Amino acid sequence: MAKYIISRLLQSLFVLFGLSLLIFFIARVMPGDPARVALGSLATHEQVQNFREEMHLDKPFPVQYYFWLRSLLRGDLGKSLYTRRPVTTDLKAYIPATLELILISFIMSLVIGQVTGVLAGYFRNSWFDGLSRLISYIGVATPAFAVAIFFLLFFTYTLNLAPAVGRLSLAAVPPPRITGFFILDSVIAGKFGTALEGLKHIFLPAASLAVANIAQEGRITRTSIAENLQKDYVIAHTVYGIPRWSILFKYLLRPSLIPTVSVMGLAFAYQLSNAFLVELVFMWPGFSRYAVTVMLNKDLNAIVAVVLVIGVAFFLVNVIVDIVVSFLDPRIRLQRTGG
Amino acid sequence: MTPLLEIKNLQVRFKIYEGELKVLNGVDMVIGEGEKVGLVGETGCGKTTTVKSVLRVLPTPPARISGGEILYRGKDILKMKPAQIRSLRKGEMSAIFQDPLAALNPVFTVGHQLYDVIKYSSASRGRKRLSKKEIRARSIAVLKETGMPDSERILSNYPIQLSGGMRQRVCISEALSASARLLMADEPTTNLDVTIQAQILRQLSELVAKKKSSILLISHSLGVVRNLTERVYIMYAGNMVEVARTKDLFADPLHPYTKALLKSVPKLTGEGISRGIRGRIPNYLNPPAGCRFHPRCDHMMPICEKERPAFFTGGDSDNHKVACFLCRR
Repeated sequence: MAKYIISRLLQSLFVLFGLSLLIFFIARVMPGDPARVALGSLATHEQVQNFREEMHLDKPFPVQYYFWLRSLLRGDLGKSLYTRRPVTTDLKAYIPATLELILISFIMSLVIGQVTGVLAGYFRNSWFDGLSRLISYIGVATPAFAVAIFFLLFFTYTLNLAPAVGRLSLAAVPPPRITGFFILDSVIAGKFGTALEGLKHIFLPAASLAVANIAQEGRITRTSIAENLQKDYVIAHTVYGIPRWSILFKYLLRPSLIPTVSVMGLAFAYQLSNAFLVELVFMWPGFSRYAVTVMLNKDLNAIVAVVLVIGVAFFLVNVIVDIVVSFLDPRIRLQRTGG
Repeated sequence: MTPLLEIKNLQVRFKIYEGELKVLNGVDMVIGEGEKVGLVGETGCGKTTTVKSVLRVLPTPPARISGGEILYRGKDILKMKPAQIRSLRKGEMSAIFQDPLAALNPVFTVGHQLYDVIKYSSASRGRKRLSKKEIRARSIAVLKETGMPDSERILSNYPIQLSGGMRQRVCISEALSASARLLMADEPTTNLDVTIQAQILRQLSELVAKKKSSILLISHSLGVVRNLTERVYIMYAGNMVEVARTKDLFADPLHPYTKALLKSVPKLTGEGISRGIRGRIPNYLNPPAGCRFHPRCDHMMPICEKERPAFFTGGDSDNHKVACFLCRR
């Protein structure tokens, strides 16, 4: 297992290298002189020339790449033209908010999606399977922002059960920053009231994001459970006296999770950039909104950073998915390491 | 001999898009206490369906048991509650399946699967629960009993890491760990090569003899059945067509299907490969009326198309029964 993880991580170093090259290339082929863009139209020709030398923009591409990578590794991504702050400062502020959001949404879709998927697969073609299929179709077909608006109208304006917008209410004091996750930080700081407040605020946006994933993942799990139920080993386990619940939630769930895990991973990374409309509806100060804003403002440094973050997120998720799948499926692990 | 298992007029149908497949068409069978019984028939004749019906693991739907009784020690399995069936599976009935790779869970180690099998089957009978160490020791012991080499190391292996023979040994260990009174072995050696086949069968029959279990050995290899069983049933298209003591059946086969089956075995004397039986197993959607074998039979009579033959006593022994109008006296 450890051997497999190490070899997988080594492989992924190449992917990261490729990713950095790609982003550097995109940043350089974008129309417009980066020095001119950075200094604005009022700068003199001499100022632009000096800036160019200072930023090594007069050097050949490989040298430029070297300096770019060096500052990237130091955490220097330049200044945002839109917020006038270092891009890394912006990222530190916005990423945890979105990460917290999609993490909660991920947990929701994991728990609800798997339970309904397993039950629908086990009782396939029953009324429960039919109902969950119908709800899934609606869930997949409805865009997340529509779900968000519906939730807002129903739970907040009609039932008045949940707060409408933001990560905390205006009066609340955010917890001291440790991870940037308000709920986690509040718990660490011992402020359970604030944690509860945070949970209340995050519930609706996370649920809006989760709906489509619950539907999709539930269906995939349902299909593989239904398929694996026909396998000889299920009959063998039954005949050899293993109880039904153990077969269902252990012997059947583990092989059935394999296809779901890949989908869950991609859905997670996808939401990092795709939570935009939901963040807008709930006025969530998140990364997705930031990403769209900087793109609309042609904020070059910030765009590079955003692309980098999304790229790295997909990359990390893929590594994690591979490791989880190889944990679930010994066939993959044994083939790759040859033992 | 007291009957351990008695199947009476068992009928099983499968629902498919085009209609209903009438697979088991009134199967009758008796297995005595401690008896070794063979069941022979072509692929698709309903052998596995019979076994799955007895174990109550037929997928329903699409399958439906539409008639008959399966009596285990006089009690009808088809009328039992799930809890009673579960307790039957722990220590009364067990089975070994055709494809050991498919019968083992691919994502759990051999030890893990064997552990659960031993844990749950030993927990049922009012005994105190075994400790982890005891279960592990028993796992190693049951693997050793099947002639598994290096059984301690095998526990941490996954099924794909084992050879075909080893996989089947693991399955046999799982099946016999709860010392079943009735073991149904559904073509246990079909997927193995001949030398391993012989080893496994020898060990299996030794184990069964030691535990005084009854065995139902399903095979399409007549040689295997001839060597290991006392009585044999011949099945064709969802019906039993002939039953006799093994030596009587091989000496004096009476049903045209049995005769053709025995004739189709290639001989070592080099007479070439026989022609086999003309035609093929019938379509279960619209099976032939009367005797299901009549379209393929060389001795077809008008009555064969109309009536289903009952069992007639034939040959020299009262135990030799044939479902064929040729033997009606």
